[in-house]
Amino acid sequence: MTDVAMVNLTIEGRAVRVPSGTSILEAAKVAGVLVPHYCYHPGLPVAGVCRMCLVEVEKAPKLAPSCATTVAEGQVVHVHSPKSLEARKGVLEMLLINHPLDCPICDQAGECELQDYTYQEGRAEGRYRDPKRFNPVEDFGGDVMYVANRCILCTRCVRFMDDIAHDPVLAVAERGDRALIAKFDGEDLTHAWAGNVIDLCPVGALLSKDSLNKARAWELDRSASVCPHCSQGCNMIVETRDNQVIRLRPRPNDAVNKFFMCDHGRLNYRWMNRQDRVDSPLVRQHDVLAKADWEVALRVAGQLLGGKRAFVLASPNLSNEALFLLGKLVAKTGGSGAFRVVQGAEAPLPGVEDLALRADRAANVRGAELAGFVRSESPLSGMQGGEVLVVADEELAGVDATDVAKAGAIIVIGTTLPAWARHAATVVLPIANTVEEDGTFTNLRGRVQRFLQAKAAPGLARPSFLAIGDLLAEIGEGSGYWTASQTFDALAASHAEFAGLSYDALGLKGAPLAGAMAGASA
Amino acid sequence: MSAATHQQFRYEPVFVGKRKEELDELLTRYPTKMAALLPALWIVQEERGWVPAEGMAEVAHLLELTPAYVKGVVTFYTMYHQHPVAKHFIQVCTTSPCNVCGAEDVVNALLKHTGCEELGVNSADGKYCVIEVECLGACGFNTPLMVNERFIESVTVDSVPALLASLG
Amino acid sequence: MGFPHTPHERETLVLSEYFGVREAISLAGYKQRGGYAALDKALRMEPAEIVQIVKDSGLRGRGGAGFPTGMKWSFMKPGDGKPHYLCCNADESEPGTFKDREIMRWTPHALVEGCAIAAYAIGAEVAYVYIRGEYTEALDRMNAACKEAYAAGILGANAMGTGKTVHVYVHKGAGAYICGEETALMNSLEGRRGNPRIKPPFPAVSGLFNQPTTINNVETLVAVNHILIKGAEWYRTFGRVDNPKSTGTKLFSVCGNIARPGNYEVAMGFPFKDFLYDLCGGPLPGREFKAIIPGGISVPIQTRAEAENSPMDYEGFVANGTMLGSGGVIVIDDAQNLVKQIARAARFFAHESCAQCTQCREGTAWTTKILERIVAGDGTHEDLDTLMEIADNMTGKTICVLSDSCATPVVSGLTKFRDDFEALIKRKKVHMVPAQVA
Repeated sequence: MTDVAMVNLTIEGRAVRVPSGTSILEAAKVAGVLVPHYCYHPGLPVAGVCRMCLVEVEKAPKLAPSCATTVAEGQVVHVHSPKSLEARKGVLEMLLINHPLDCPICDQAGECELQDYTYQEGRAEGRYRDPKRFNPVEDFGGDVMYVANRCILCTRCVRFMDDIAHDPVLAVAERGDRALIAKFDGEDLTHAWAGNVIDLCPVGALLSKDSLNKARAWELDRSASVCPHCSQGCNMIVETRDNQVIRLRPRPNDAVNKFFMCDHGRLNYRWMNRQDRVDSPLVRQHDVLAKADWEVALRVAGQLLGGKRAFVLASPNLSNEALFLLGKLVAKTGGSGAFRVVQGAEAPLPGVEDLALRADRAANVRGAELAGFVRSESPLSGMQGGEVLVVADEELAGVDATDVAKAGAIIVIGTTLPAWARHAATVVLPIANTVEEDGTFTNLRGRVQRFLQAKAAPGLARPSFLAIGDLLAEIGEGSGYWTASQTFDALAASHAEFAGLSYDALGLKGAPLAGAMAGASA
Repeated sequence: MSAATHQQFRYEPVFVGKRKEELDELLTRYPTKMAALLPALWIVQEERGWVPAEGMAEVAHLLELTPAYVKGVVTFYTMYHQHPVAKHFIQVCTTSPCNVCGAEDVVNALLKHTGCEELGVNSADGKYCVIEVECLGACGFNTPLMVNERFIESVTVDSVPALLASLG
Repeated sequence: MGFPHTPHERETLVLSEYFGVREAISLAGYKQRGGYAALDKALRMEPAEIVQIVKDSGLRGRGGAGFPTGMKWSFMKPGDGKPHYLCCNADESEPGTFKDREIMRWTPHALVEGCAIAAYAIGAEVAYVYIRGEYTEALDRMNAACKEAYAAGILGANAMGTGKTVHVYVHKGAGAYICGEETALMNSLEGRRGNPRIKPPFPAVSGLFNQPTTINNVETLVAVNHILIKGAEWYRTFGRVDNPKSTGTKLFSVCGNIARPGNYEVAMGFPFKDFLYDLCGGPLPGREFKAIIPGGISVPIQTRAEAENSPMDYEGFVANGTMLGSGGVIVIDDAQNLVKQIARAARFFAHESCAQCTQCREGTAWTTKILERIVAGDGTHEDLDTLMEIADNMTGKTICVLSDSCATPVVSGLTKFRDDFEALIKRKKVHMVPAQVA
């Protein structure tokens, strides 16, 4: 790091010290002062057009746009002075004159910055008495629809598609109060990362067709998580209503995904709400799998493993904690383990270094490798006849049935019961899916990141680490894996790569493995 | 829909032969391809009488831009026609300096004598279309107007019939 | 095409000497009249010497802002290793202004020469002349002049045989008032929407194609030719003795309700009263001047008394409640509905707003709607208060001054001619409230 000169200034009476070149708006954040703004976004080039972030700088002749004005030594800035407030009130009134004021039917209501700032410091009543401009709703393609009447022309979407996605399919068209966001006929928002314009839109102008009218913003519960759909490990927020995942949205993390998340990750959430879940342990009795208590199921599973080698086929979407414990199972029985990774086309976001939808469509490939599992396209080929096959969160789609048949017995640890398992499994241990449990993933750059439980698992399903820990206990391998955090501590204690890490140390932004690159986008 | 609108519309590229050479020469004047956008759009309009969507796409391709970007630029500038225009597209300045000198009367006279029922609507014979434009920058020669690319000064209510006759 | 008026004896013909002289249009005719002597001289001087002469002359930008030209040129740092650019602002789009058009129509080579000198002085090898698209005749003449100048070796890689490179290219605009704003012009030239840019960075640091750029008005550049030949001292002789800040001659475009509209060139500081009545012939028969806008529609409206008291220079107009601006004099007489004309001006700005800044995009249109409603007899007294508040929100808060320009006639109109507004409101139509609603 080169030395950057520091600048001292006062914002709303609070002294702050920031690197030179910082904008007043960002410096205000450091001082704990939010300057209301629309067009500014830390992940996009500065436009300076909404004029909402005007602040009073002592000795300056005019109000300054704080997003586009850099700090200067000794500057005294007033964000909430009468002049600044009056200016912002004026902007808010202007933004609303042509706005339909249709908050009751707008998806953005409750998370709308126009609504928030108007309640915070706008006029109680507008003075506009003339007809409003009207433009029809337009389908922009991809997951995006455009409600022009609500648009405030902040151009965040245009700048994202241009400067970040490098696919400028959106543009401001026309001028004056006729201006609107336009695309070219036949050229849709099909870019793999286009859905970000929905999050970037500060108002209800760009909406997700997928989540349209599904829930009001204030009805959603939000949990910090990590996208499980590829090895990039984008930080995300899982939004649920009544234990149903409604929407996935990016959670900012400068080291991984900045502010963004791809459409594949964002829209691929329906499996999290699957209704055909195994909600009770099952044990084969004669020809059928019958519901059983956990104690019974674990005992049967333990007996199956007694003296036998386990071949564990694990999903690379299992947490580090689950994989660590499965690794112990392999070690304890003298067996082996393997995994396979679903492949897809890589889709980078060119404006952000080292950010892409990765070809490896699994969140914890690195974690699976570190837990000692062998990556293979035909993962069961390594299994020897008579071994106990433990299938952990793998549906075995496309796997050769003859390979499966080699197994001496089959224990399924999973969320659902695929057809083959109905007649082949001896024991089924139901587990929670990713968004139903706590855990960590290790992304492709070796960054370990936590995800939190966002919804409840069905019936008797247990978090994966707990179920596997119970099974280990059954075969006499330690105990004490009661929480994800404890399990992680055990992992950190036994694997050098994880040394020094803990849930507290990881926080919600994660941390790199020992020896891994400092950050994904170093 | 009429049968005509269902016909397969085949777009003939504008930038071939001499026009392509013209564009290539223009490109030597600027350090970026994008800077040739306004001149390139002028060429399309000179050739086609307006700037069709296909023309925007062609220019976008040649200058390594996206059609949406080009659309954003085309719609910013009022002189690029986004629809085919009448044979005599008459743009009359009615901004304040001309307005105080009776430009609105000139507009009304033009509407009357061309048979155009309202501003921006073609006359029944398709020959004329009259629109108001903002300041043409000839305020001392009121009322100025443009007929297509032709600039005509000092038009009065009385001179309108002769003017229209001269257009043919 | 219209010919200019016969010059009045009290005019000072420097830039406009050959207006109406067909022979001066061609290269040969221009050279016969002393053309390109200034460029020939300039190319044999050090750029810094030229900048100094222009500084000494006191020449200020004729486009509207009145920034000292020599100082602007001195911001261009020689030898910084970057390509420099000169932009000539020939987008003349300020309503009431049509002087640059006449320069380009009658003396296109004078502009080519001025561009070449300025380009050389600021270390630029390329000058772009951005001419508004509506100026078809000026475009033709300028294109022809450049062609002639290239053919004669005046422009090109070996300009006038000096081994120096000077290119002058004409760039045609496409209909956007805002492209007369210098940073919008640069965006437009780069093939973008004509959106003004946030300053800083200023053009001299990062302008056209993100390189150091100077942008000058047509009239400014043409004046340089004369300053180089006749000297800075000569130029300073024009102007009020007690006001050294405004020097030289200035072209004023005159239009509206006045006997003899047209372009007039007078020395800075000329009495506006004499100008209006003597040179321009005063009001139309049986009429009186009601309001005068002396610097293009963006400057405050003057009452007749204010106008008659104004010396015609930068300081003289400011002292009388307005600005010199672009020198576009719009005269409105007592037969006019002034509110209607203010509404028409607002509509102009609403049409021309680039749509970037909220206050401008929405405020220009809102102002127009209220004013047009008042003109239609549907206004209220509250509307007048609202207009003033909108105007305040539109002033000093946006990237460029288009928004301020829209507010200016509203504020000056409401301040100086409030009775006109009140009268329209008093004859307000009475709307019957439908029974089922009442």
